[in-house]
This record gives sequence, structure tokens and C-alpha cells, in this order.
Amino acid sequence: MTMIKFEDVNKWFGKLHVLKNINLQVEPGEVVVICGPSGSGKSTLIRCINRLEKFQKGKLIVDGTPLHDHGINLTKLRADIGFVFQQFHLYPHMTALQNVTLAPINVRKIKKKEATRLGRETLARVGLADKVDSHPAQLSGGQQQRVAIARGLAMNPKIMLFDEPTSALDPEMIGEVLDVMVQLAKEGITMCVVTHEMGFARQVAHRVIFMDEGQLVETGKPDQFFKNPQTDRAAQFISKILTH
Amino acid sequence: MMAFYLQRLLEIFPFFLKGLWMTVVVAGLGLSFATIFGFLLGIMRSSKKKLLTWPIGVYVFVIRGTPFVVQIFIIFFILPEWGIQLDAFPAAVLALSILGAAFICEIVAGGIKAVDQGQWEAATASGLSIFQQLRFVIVPQAMQTILPPLVGQYVLLIKDSSVVSVIGVVELTRVGWMTVVRIPEGLMVFSLVGILYFVISYPLIRVSNSLERRMAVQEVRL
Repeated sequence: MTMIKFEDVNKWFGKLHVLKNINLQVEPGEVVVICGPSGSGKSTLIRCINRLEKFQKGKLIVDGTPLHDHGINLTKLRADIGFVFQQFHLYPHMTALQNVTLAPINVRKIKKKEATRLGRETLARVGLADKVDSHPAQLSGGQQQRVAIARGLAMNPKIMLFDEPTSALDPEMIGEVLDVMVQLAKEGITMCVVTHEMGFARQVAHRVIFMDEGQLVETGKPDQFFKNPQTDRAAQFISKILTH
Repeated sequence: MMAFYLQRLLEIFPFFLKGLWMTVVVAGLGLSFATIFGFLLGIMRSSKKKLLTWPIGVYVFVIRGTPFVVQIFIIFFILPEWGIQLDAFPAAVLALSILGAAFICEIVAGGIKAVDQGQWEAATASGLSIFQQLRFVIVPQAMQTILPPLVGQYVLLIKDSSVVSVIGVVELTRVGWMTVVRIPEGLMVFSLVGILYFVISYPLIRVSNSLERRMAVQEVRL
């Protein structure tokens, strides 16, 4: 069964047409990288998948749930989708472990002891076993983003969404976050990643999607997309980020 | 003569303590209800739903824009005309609750709005219900902003409670009025009243100041 299916999805912010007739299918276990210039609608696209954004027209089915219907159980849907933000958005008043266990305890209703064990395990998985009791303010950007990834993973999600996860990081911290993401991709979790990290795309993405002005302009295998883009707009974009 | 009055004043000091106690009870009950309703209203007021925020805005506007003494008169003298008869004590507690809730509502709404939008998004994305989001993520962070002005507001409301003396609740200020009839040393009598108010307010002022300092320190650390 297809994990994520967009059918002619359209979205407006007031008069601004930010998503134009989006058609896209993501299969279970697939890793999709979405790139494009800023303002192209790529963040909005993945924010639709867990309904952080509403859309006005079209159909979107995520893990069998039709998001265009009224009265769907959004809490249930979101519990199964991890979301990693550009700015981390960790809960500053909680420790790393509490950040990770909050949703498992209160949404999944897992017993606190079990959730704590699971939380420690998940933090160890992102290489932060020694930081469980640290508060976000005591962690570097890269560590914070890894806690944020662990927070999503602890819910044992079917899909992980990443919205420019390395854009707010100092260059020397990007690697540690990408390493964790590469690991996840190899574990076979369905991932949609908005990023300009071409190395990551080349290494693990099954497909690269290029967006511009709210449209899905081009989609292809990473090697083919980067070496031989089919559209001018994609070619221009690639030359810009490569020379950058 | 001064010495004589001072001695009389000491003799009836227990009467002052009774008044002080009544002030504590009226203010204590009033502030408790005001806090509960102030938080509920403040949380609703911080939402984006116009249907929810608009009526609360009108309530806050009316209460903040009219003198407390007029509000008390309306509750005590005018509501009975519509068949709602209240004794002086419950009327005083009700009036203080309504007044306090309006101010606390604004403080709470301000504190909640000051929490980064990303916190709501992160909590939403992880599947927490709106109540869980408020309880675990938003309100604990908003409390840092809310607490200092909230405690400050408590001090103001305790002092405002003196106004309920106009409907005959025998609290501290009323005791002053009644005493000054027998001991015509106004300065002496009302100095004592003032000192007793200060005794309740002072600890709260200290708490408020130290909270504000702690806030400032935390901001520097972040």
C-alpha cells in the first residue's frame, strides 16, 4: 500500500497559490528528498502530510487516512508521523529524556518506566546516551537536533518528515545529524526530507523531487537528477547550489 | 490625649485583627476564584477563535474600564432588582473574583502568546491533544512570564479588597471607619490600618521581586 499519496493537492495562503496540483506517491520504506528554491512550497508540502497545514483542494491519503475528509483522527495520524523542524523546537523546560518520553507516555500511554527505558535506548541510537539528563540549552545545535530526531523516533513512527533539519546548524555539526539520518534511511523507515544536502541525497535518497513556485517540476533518481536534470529550472537550481 | 487614644486603640486591637482576618478571607477566596477563572479565560483568550476571544475581550474591557466601587454597587444593589439577592460577604467575594479574573486573564493570555509558536507545532506534531499541549508544554513555559506580574496583581487586588467596605463587610478598612468614630485620631487609626495591609502585601511584593530577578537571570543565561 502506498504510504503517502497526493492527488491534485492545491493550497493557498490568502491569495498566494503555494501548492499547485501536486501529484506524488511515496511507497513504504522510500526515502524522498525534496529540494528547490526558498518559497517554492517544499516545507508547506511536507507540513501537509501531518496536517500542520491544511489544504483547500485535492486529495491526500497518508497511511490509509484520507486527510481531505472531515472528522479524521488527527492525533492518531500525527502519533505515527515523526516531524523534525529546522529550529529543533525542543521543549526547553524538560531534559532530553523528558522531551523524548513525553509523547510515548501521554499519547501512546506507555508506562513511565518502560517509556524511560525506551527513551534512553532511542537517545543512545542517536549517539546521546550520556546526555539524557541535559536540558536543551546545555546542548549544541547538532545535539539538540539529534534529540529532536529521537523525540520523533521514540513514537515508533511509520513516517519521518524532516524540514531542513541541518539549515540552522553550524557547518561542523551538520555531519553528525546527517549520519543519524543516513542510519535511519538504511533501516527502511519512510522518509521525506526537505534539504539541500546533496551528499545526503546521493547517498540514501531513492528519489529527488524538485519544486519551484508551488509546482512539482521534476522528479528522478538522485544521480540522474544531479547529473542530467531534465528541466532548465532544475539545472539552474543545481548549478546554484553546487557553486554556492 | 494622644497617649489616651493610643491606649484605647491597643485595647480594641483584637477588633483590628478580626478585620484583618476578614480581609484575608475575602481576598483569599476572591483571588482563588479569580486565579481559576483568570487562567481559564486567559487560555481561551490566547486562542485564535474569534468566537472565543471576542466576548472575553468585551468582559475585560468593561471590567477594566469601570471603577471597582461601581461594580460592587451593581452586584450588591442592582442585581437584587432582578431577583439576585446576595449578602455582603458573597457579593464582595464575587465582585473581587470578577475584577481579578479580568486582570489575570490578560496576564495569562500575554504569557501564553509569548511562548514560541514552534512549541505548539512540535507538541501538535507529536500527537498530543490540545489539553496535553497546554498542560505539559505551553503553560509551564508561560508560567515564567506569568508569575511575576501575577503576584504583583495579587498585591493590587488585596489592596482593592478595601473597597468592599462600602457594602458593609467588616474587613480591615471598615474596622478603621468604625474605630475612627470612637477614636477621632484619623492619622493614628488609618496608619494602623495601612500597616496591617502592608503586613500581608509585603511578603508578596518580595516574592514578586525575586521572581522578576530570577526571570531576568534566566533570560541572560539563555
